[in-house]
Amino acid sequence: MRSAVVTNRSRANPRPARSGRSTLIFLSPWLVSFGVFWLFPLVFSLVLSFMQFNPLRPDLARFVGLDNFARAVRDPLFWTSLKNTLVFVCGTVPVTTLIAFFLAVAINRKLPFRSLYRAGFFVPSIVSVVVISIVFKQLYSPAGLVNKLVEVFGGNPRSWLGDPGTALVSIMAMDVWSSFGYYTILFLAGLQAIPAELYEAAVLDGGGFWGTLRFVTLPMLRPITLFVIVINTIRSFQVFIEIFVMTRGGPLNSTLTSVFYLYDRAFYRFEMGYASAVGYLLFAVIMCFLFLQMKYLRVGRGAGE
Amino acid sequence: MRARMIILSVVLLALLVSTLFPLYWMVATSLRGEGAVIKKAVELWPKQPSLGNYVDVFRSGPFSRYFLNSVVVSAFVVLGNILFASMVGYGIARREFRGKRLLTVGVVSMLMVPRQITMIPLYLLISKLRMIDSYFALTLPFLVDAFNVFLISQYVTSLPAELEDAARVDGAGDMGIFFRIVLPLCKPALAVVGINTFLVSWNSFLYPLILTNTERMRTLPVGLALYSQGEHSVDWGHLTAGSTVCALPIIVVFILFQRHIIEGITAGSGK
Repeated sequence: MRSAVVTNRSRANPRPARSGRSTLIFLSPWLVSFGVFWLFPLVFSLVLSFMQFNPLRPDLARFVGLDNFARAVRDPLFWTSLKNTLVFVCGTVPVTTLIAFFLAVAINRKLPFRSLYRAGFFVPSIVSVVVISIVFKQLYSPAGLVNKLVEVFGGNPRSWLGDPGTALVSIMAMDVWSSFGYYTILFLAGLQAIPAELYEAAVLDGGGFWGTLRFVTLPMLRPITLFVIVINTIRSFQVFIEIFVMTRGGPLNSTLTSVFYLYDRAFYRFEMGYASAVGYLLFAVIMCFLFLQMKYLRVGRGAGE
Repeated sequence: MRARMIILSVVLLALLVSTLFPLYWMVATSLRGEGAVIKKAVELWPKQPSLGNYVDVFRSGPFSRYFLNSVVVSAFVVLGNILFASMVGYGIARREFRGKRLLTVGVVSMLMVPRQITMIPLYLLISKLRMIDSYFALTLPFLVDAFNVFLISQYVTSLPAELEDAARVDGAGDMGIFFRIVLPLCKPALAVVGINTFLVSWNSFLYPLILTNTERMRTLPVGLALYSQGEHSVDWGHLTAGSTVCALPIIVVFILFQRHIIEGITAGSGK
């Protein structure tokens, strides 16, 4: 009762003026950086997307209404880039999630070298993607190790990144390799939060490995699985560095992704208005995707439990 | 049961070896001499390891300059985040003010909206300020990371407020309380913020790429990526040497601060 009164009073008359000013001081770095480097660019970008704007010829800047969006929708390359990006996302995210999930379940047992696995699988995910891309460019090269391995098994060597049929898949495989350790760590954290009693109960109920997985592990890990899928989706939609270093969108645009397309239009052709429109379109696609994922996975939860 | 454990261990070890092999291969290739790279034979470890490729790389490209730039930029971004993110995180956790909800929405929105939307206006803004190709361009926009703010505010919320109240009763000012009481208490969270910011900053690529345009201001990943194109594109000895130089600080930091890194990554998932 007493504490309620105190809270009420402090709400009615929050703080002396001095404290209000210091609150502002504490928040000021955020207000400046949020306003100048985030909110302003976000709004400006929306304005740009309705303009024709070349930074080399600012005098020619003019409003063109929805022309940029119409142009994007009519540009076959825009659709190619979006298709490649969707293939990349839909191909890598489920595979990475599955590997990370089962690896985490395996490591979570009382095994020798547990901490070694935890650390070792994680390492590729913190090394610069530029480094990873260069290393794999060498492995995939015609005289590279992948071809040597293929020859050992009697296959035909090929130029993995030079062939439009294999370039994107090769980059996707590299992405899975370099990122699954990161999500394994997240799953492991989730597994460690599951109370041991649940497993004991499952054992008493006679649930085997798959039974325990299905009725204890999976439902308990649902929130973290959703988290993993969402952040991996956001990250994968923005795939850029690999493309920049390994293929620059080629061969025959087979690895042209949305962000590379956007980068090319903005910083090689200086069509910054058009590129902003492409950015907003991509953003809309990502949001739709995330919305569907959340809805689908939530519904799945309601049905499963 | 025991047999299953052994099988599982063997499978995991094999998987681990194949996961780390590309990085091992990078180091092995970088240590091969000029002739060995041209030779087609596969050598798992060079017969006569040499540092020749490293010497060449530092001579043929301004790699020492790239390295210096990466160190300077990462240092400022890390220090900025430790100071500013903790100020803001503390403000959000401990103060009541109008628009607090809106501010929190702002923090979350920064985590959700993909960066490439703000990329073009940020480039235009920085060039309007005549800061393209300077340390300002590479550090100023990245001094207050939303994720760090979120992390610190979570941590401060979990701390008991009694110490701060006691200090206030003893007549300490707001700044005194923050610097002498709150910051020292936040050390574990600050370590997580510092190390994870270092990883992100050191590996940062897209922004340093568009915000610089001369060799003098390139950071290591950008310099390396541009070096790998054109005349050096199949110079595997040199490229892997440059790659090793770029990866080494990250791996050293990882070995030293593994626990903090993993804490930082899992912090965002539980809440």
